[in-house]
Amino acid sequence: MLQKKQCVAMLLAGGQGSRLGILTRRTAKPAIPFGGKYRIIDFPVSNCTNSGIDVVGVLTQYRPLELNAYIGSGAPWDLDLNNGGIFVLPPYSTGKDGEWYKGTANSIYQNMEFIEQYNPDYVLVLSGDHIYKMDYAAMLNHHIKEEAAVTIAVRQVPWEETNRFGIMNTDENGNITEFEEKPANAKSNNASMGVYVFTWDKMRAYLIEDENNPKSSNDFGKNIIPNMLNANEKLVAYNFNGYWKDVGTIESLWEANMDLLEDPAPIDLHDRRWRIYARNVGLPPHFIGKKGEVINSLITEGGVINGKVTNSVLSGGVVVEEGAEVIDSVVMPSAVIKKGAVVRRAIIGENAVVTEDAIVGEKTGDIAVVGNNTVLSAGQKVASGEQAGE
Amino acid sequence: MKSDIVGLIYTGENSERLRDLTRIRSVAALPILGRYRIIDFMLSNMVNSGIHNVGIILQQNYQSLLDQLGSGREWDLHGKRAGLTLLPPFAASEHSYYTGLLDALKSNLSFLRRSKERYIAVTDSGILYSIRFEELLAEHLKNEADITLVYTKDRDARRNGVGRYLGIDENCVVKHLEVDPSIPRYENTYIGVFLVRREMLIDMVDRATSQGFHHFTREMLARFLQEGTYKVCGYQLPLKPWVIDSVQAYYHANMDALDPTVREMFFDKDRPIWTKLRDEMPTRYATGARVSNSLVADGCVIEGTVENSIIFRGVTIRPGAVVKGCIIMQDALISRNVEIENCIMDKQTTIREGGRLVSTAAYPTVVPKNLTI
Repeated sequence: MLQKKQCVAMLLAGGQGSRLGILTRRTAKPAIPFGGKYRIIDFPVSNCTNSGIDVVGVLTQYRPLELNAYIGSGAPWDLDLNNGGIFVLPPYSTGKDGEWYKGTANSIYQNMEFIEQYNPDYVLVLSGDHIYKMDYAAMLNHHIKEEAAVTIAVRQVPWEETNRFGIMNTDENGNITEFEEKPANAKSNNASMGVYVFTWDKMRAYLIEDENNPKSSNDFGKNIIPNMLNANEKLVAYNFNGYWKDVGTIESLWEANMDLLEDPAPIDLHDRRWRIYARNVGLPPHFIGKKGEVINSLITEGGVINGKVTNSVLSGGVVVEEGAEVIDSVVMPSAVIKKGAVVRRAIIGENAVVTEDAIVGEKTGDIAVVGNNTVLSAGQKVASGEQAGE
Repeated sequence: MKSDIVGLIYTGENSERLRDLTRIRSVAALPILGRYRIIDFMLSNMVNSGIHNVGIILQQNYQSLLDQLGSGREWDLHGKRAGLTLLPPFAASEHSYYTGLLDALKSNLSFLRRSKERYIAVTDSGILYSIRFEELLAEHLKNEADITLVYTKDRDARRNGVGRYLGIDENCVVKHLEVDPSIPRYENTYIGVFLVRREMLIDMVDRATSQGFHHFTREMLARFLQEGTYKVCGYQLPLKPWVIDSVQAYYHANMDALDPTVREMFFDKDRPIWTKLRDEMPTRYATGARVSNSLVADGCVIEGTVENSIIFRGVTIRPGAVVKGCIIMQDALISRNVEIENCIMDKQTTIREGGRLVSTAAYPTVVPKNLTI
C-alpha cells in the first residue's frame, strides 16, 4: 500500500492534435517544443510541482515515443520520488478485452486502479495543450471550501470566440447551472480551461455509470459534466485571470510564442518562484557571430547566429547562417537556416533544414510550416499557409 | 560500456595569481565559458569516457563545489553501483588543508582501497582540457607503462619559473622531470593528469610516505625516475589545454572560446559537457540590443551593446550600456549607460548607472563577487 495522497493529477496527453498538421504527424502534441527550451507538457507538469502535487499520471496513446523519452524518470520536475512521481499510463490489455482509450473519461476509467493506489480525496484532471502558470493548490482549496463534486477552472474569453469553447453558465454564487459546448449564441463568456478538480468518490461513481452506457462517447465535456449537472451535483466555477493560451493550432502555437516577445511578456518565465522546468539537453551557451544581428528575440543554448534574427523564438541548437534572415518566426530545436534563406511568419520543425536561398512564409497571411526533419531544396518557396514536408 | 578506471579529482590548490577569483572558491569551482565551472569539464570528460566511479578530494573553501556537485545527478553519477564520492578533509588532520597531492592521497587511501576498478586516473583541477581517458588507458597498456603522465607541447602552457616539464624519449618513456625551472629545458608540459594501476598507486603512496616525502611530483616521481623503480611514460594530449593559473590565463581561456574552432574542441556533440541546471528561460534580446562575437547563456536580458564577451546566466545589460571584451558572471547587472571594457565581473556584481570601468586585455580588472560599484 502506498502512502495516501490528498490529490492525484491525471494529465490527458493521448490526443494527436491533428489541428497542428504536419507538426504532430509523428509525435504527440504535448511533446511539441515551445518558447525556445520547453515542451508544452512542461507547463502543466511544472505547475503540479510548484503546486505541491507530486503524483502525476500521464495518459498517452498517440505516438508516445518522444513523450515517454522526454518524461523519463521525471527528474527535471523533481518527480522522481519514492513516494509519488510521474507515471506514463498507456492503454493496456486485460486478457480478452484490452482496448484503446475511447475518450477522455474512459482513459481515466481505465486507470482507476492507478488512482486508488494513493487513496486520494481529489483528482485533478489536466490537458496537455495549454500554456499557463496556475496554482492548482489554490483551486483545490476553493473546491474543498465549496464542498463541490467538481470544480472547473474558467476564464473569460472575448465574446466573439465563445463558439470555440465549452461555456459555463453560473449563478451569482459561482455554481455552474448550465454547460454549453461551443454555443452559437453564448449566454456567458466563461470558457472551460480543461482543468478540473473532482472529488474522487463522485468521479469514480460517474465514470463507472458512464462506462456502462454503451451510447456514451466517454468524454468529460460531452458526458460526465452534463450527467453530473442533470443529477444536481454541485459544480463550481473557479475563475482564473492569468495568462492562458490554447496552443492546439498552428496559428495559436505561433501566437503564444510571439506573446513571449512582448515587453513585459504576458507570462513571466523569469519568475524564480514559479519556474517552468524542462529536460536539459547539455548544450553550450549560444553564440552570436561577428555578422550576427538579433532584435527582439529569444535565443537559447546551443544556437549559433551569424545571420539576422528579428521578432523570433529560437530553440536549442538552431543555426542561422550568415546572410540568412529569420523574421516573426518560431524555430524548433536543431533546425538550420542556411545562407541566403529567408524565413518569415513561419514555424520551422525540429532538425529541419531551410536550404540556401529558400524562402519560407510571407509578410502577411497564414503561418507557413516546415515539418520536422524536412530538408527543403535550394531556392524552394513555401507559401503562407503551406506545410512543407511529410 | 563500463570502464575499468576510477577517476579522482584533486581540488584546492589555487594559484595566488588568480587573486580575487579564487579567494572565495577553489579553482575547480571557478565559473567558465558562460555556464560551467572548471570541474564540469573534468567530470564530463570522465563520464564521456565511460568512468562512473569518481572521487573528489575537497579542501579549503569547498562550499561552492558542494553546491555545484549535489548528488552528481547532472553527470549521471548518482547510481548505486558507483557514482560520485566527495572526500572532504578529515577533521582529525593536523592542518585544515593537505600539504599536497601525496598528503591528500594518503588521507584518502580508503577510497583507493574500496574502489574496484583496476586503474585510476588522477587529475589536478586548475586546468581546462579535453581528454578521452579510454585512449589514455589504451596508450598506457600499449607502452606497458606503470604510470602514464599526460603532457602537452602547447607553448601557452609553458611558464618561466613554474610548472613541471618532461624529458621524453622516442618510446614515450619519461627520462627527466623538471620542477619549476627558471627557463624550462623541455617542451613537454606535464598537466597534472596521470593514469596508474590502482593498487600500484597505493604501494607508491605507502613507500613515499615511509620515506618521508611530502610532494607527489617534486619528490616522489622525481625519485622514482632517478631510481628507475617504475616505468613512467608520457601521453601527449591531442588537443590544446588551458592552464588556469592567473587572472590573465583565465581571461584568455574564456576569450579563446569565441573562436569557433576552439569551441569545437570543448563542445563535441557526442561528448556533451554537463553542469548544474538553473532552469532559466531563454535569453531575451530587446529591440535595441546589439550583440556580436559573444557567447551568451540563458536567462539574460540584453538591451544594450555587447561585443567580444562571455555572458553568464541571468545577466542583465540595460539600454545604453556598452560591454566590450568582458566576462560577466551569473546574475550581474550592468546598468544604463555603463561603459565597461576588458573586465571580469564576478557573480552578483552591479555597476551603477553611468559607471565607467575600462582596463586593458593584458590586465583585466576583476570586480569581486557581490560588489556594487
